[in-house]
Formats: sequence, structure tokens, C-alpha cells
Amino acid sequence: MAFELARRRTFRNNCAIMGDLVTSPDDLRAWIGEVARDRDRAAFGKLFHYFAPRVASFLQRGGLTPSEAEEIAQEAMVTVWRKAALYDPRQAGVGTWVFTIARNLRTDQARRAIRSRNGAAALSDIPPEIGESVEDFALTNEREARVRKAISDLSPEQATALRMSFYSEKPHAQIARELGIPLGTVKSRVRLAMAKLRTHLESDW
Amino acid sequence: MTHHPHDDTLARIAAGALSAGPRFVVATHLAGCAACRKRARAFEAVGGVLLEEMAPVRLSPDAFARTLGRLEEPGREPARRIVLNPEYPAPLDILPLGRWRYITPALQWRNLKLPHDPGANLIMIKAAPGQKMPHHGHRGEEYTQVLTGSFSDRFGHYDVGDLIEMDSDIEHQPIVDAGHECVILASVEGRMRLTGWIAHLMQPLMGL
Repeated sequence: MAFELARRRTFRNNCAIMGDLVTSPDDLRAWIGEVARDRDRAAFGKLFHYFAPRVASFLQRGGLTPSEAEEIAQEAMVTVWRKAALYDPRQAGVGTWVFTIARNLRTDQARRAIRSRNGAAALSDIPPEIGESVEDFALTNEREARVRKAISDLSPEQATALRMSFYSEKPHAQIARELGIPLGTVKSRVRLAMAKLRTHLESDW
Repeated sequence: MTHHPHDDTLARIAAGALSAGPRFVVATHLAGCAACRKRARAFEAVGGVLLEEMAPVRLSPDAFARTLGRLEEPGREPARRIVLNPEYPAPLDILPLGRWRYITPALQWRNLKLPHDPGANLIMIKAAPGQKMPHHGHRGEEYTQVLTGSFSDRFGHYDVGDLIEMDSDIEHQPIVDAGHECVILASVEGRMRLTGWIAHLMQPLMGL
């Protein structure tokens, strides 16, 4: 056990030296654990340096300005700090968990912006749409590896269509205009991308 | 339950990339459909992988210091969930609904307001058993969730819990099945295209 810990520390130190290119799912989980258990700010720093620039990048692709994206990325990391103890490794990889936090904030942000512009009171907030309850759902490394494989198997056009579906609220018609291709082509690319994902993720469907 | 959201729609709700009206209707479907919740979870994992694959952008130099400075701030209390309409699935159960309005005694409707997005165009329609709905078309991406009862159109039969995605080029005339009244929740994009006499009656009443 002590040997295992020492080995992991060495590996992590090496990772820090080599940059985040080799950050592994195990590292991310270990850091979350240290934040949850020990309120460890050094571990939080590693999570921040890995995730904040990626969350900001993701949000910018969705059309937010760099400063809006950075604001939400910071907010997401504060949420990671506060909710680290609620992270359940049996449900989702750390990346997926952080993704859902950023997603909810993006939606919240939209809500707040709309609310302040119209001065409309929040009578009752709508809860997170996909709900907190999880059935017999075990999202594991193995599963995320399958997702990774499924995405890497897409053609470049299909991967672009998939990403467009994830980045922004743009309907297909607008994506088609921006890419300068017919609406039918966008729809069929999205359909093909989804069908391919489905074959890889059959057991999750 | 035989009609479910398309994969792309589940991907977009998992990504937070569906606008408020459609998101609300699809969420109502997810509340009652474990299979779709599972698929939506799979798409969250896709989102996680896409996030990890993003090329990191440079943040402002004090971004980390500012975040550290905020760690001990008190968090927002989660809003308390007050169920107003236990007869409907979440998140419709907590939304103030207002009164039904009559078009005819056998056909009623109401407009819904989302507290976080007054721009979202959501309606509920309640129709008596056997009622013929106005012949109409759809604009853009519109979603309909069957809350009670069932109905049919020339494309198929729709039961409680079904979610129907309407494309802009679809025109149909739903007819409520005999036996039960039917209540649906729908997100409407722009003005609804209505044809026929009852439609002309409805259009000004509903402001559509």
C-alpha cells in the first residue's frame, strides 16, 4: 500500500514535469479525493490547471467571449472545490463530472442574464434536467475508453458535426449556413455520427 | 411508450445546448423514461471526453489566484422544490400553470412561462376524447410530450409518455383517441401554422 502510494506520487510528479499531456483518469480521481478528504489546495491547483483552460476553451467554441468563458470556468472550479465530496467515481469519470458542472453553469448563466435583463423573479428554479438519480449506472475508465474510441473512429466531418451539437444552441439550419453546406448534409452527418457512437456504446443504450 | 427523443436531441440536452423551451419538454420526457436518461448519461460521457480533448486556452494570469480567493465564499443554497402540480412529471410539477382557457368546451389550452426564460414559447393543450385537432404545420424544431391520454395522426399513434419531434415540413391533424381526454405539453417555435375553421378560431385566442 505504502509502496503503491509512493509509486503514484512519483508518477504524478513526473506528470507535473512533463505537463498535463499525460494526466491520467487515475490522477484526476486521486486529486479529487485529496480535495474532498483533506481540502488540499495543491491538489485543487492541479485540477484547476488541467480543467479551467479546457472548460474555457469549450465555452469559447460555443460562442462565449474569452472573459465570459473564463468567468464560468472559475465558477466551475469553485463548484468542484465545494462539491468534491459528492463526486462518485462509480457514476462518472472526473472529466464527465466537470463537464456536467460547466454545462449547468452555462445554462444558469443564461438564466441569470435573462433574469437580470427582464427583472423577472425566479419563482422556482427548474432543477437539473437529467436529475441526480442514477440507475444501475457504472461509468468507469473502461466505459470512457469506449467513448474515446467511438469518437476517434468518426470521420472528420462526422466529428465536426458531433462537436457542433455539443458546443452551442445553434440549430442545424444555422450550422449548415456557417459551414456553407446543405441542411440535409448536416442532418445526415449528425445521424451517421450518432449511429456510429451507438454501435460502440451499445451496452449504454 | 414508443416515441423517444432522437439521439441528437439527447446529445444536445446532455450538452446544455438545447434552448430553454425544448429543454423543458425533453426534460419532462426524461423524468418518465429511464432508457432515455441512460442514453443522455452516455452523451454526458461523450461531453467529458470532448472536454478533455479540448486544446487548453490561456487564462488571465491571476485566474487561479482569484479562484483561490473565492473558495471560502458561502455557496448558493439549492432552491427548495415545491411541488404545485403532482399530477405532472418533473420539471412541470413545480411550474405555476395558470388557468385553462377555452377555445371550445372540448378544447382548452394554456400558455406556460418559465421563470428563467420568458422568451420560451410553451403551451399545454387539453382535448376531449375523440376531439379532432386543427390541421396544422410546424416551424423549426418543435417538441410535444404526451402527458395524459393518447392521440393519432397520419404518421402514427402516440401514448402517455411519448415525445414527438416535429420537423418544420410536417403538416398533420391529430385526433384524440376515444375513452380518455388528452393533455400535451409542446414547445412552439415562432407562429404555429394553422389551417381550417377551428384554427382561425384558435389563432387569435392563443396569440399564435
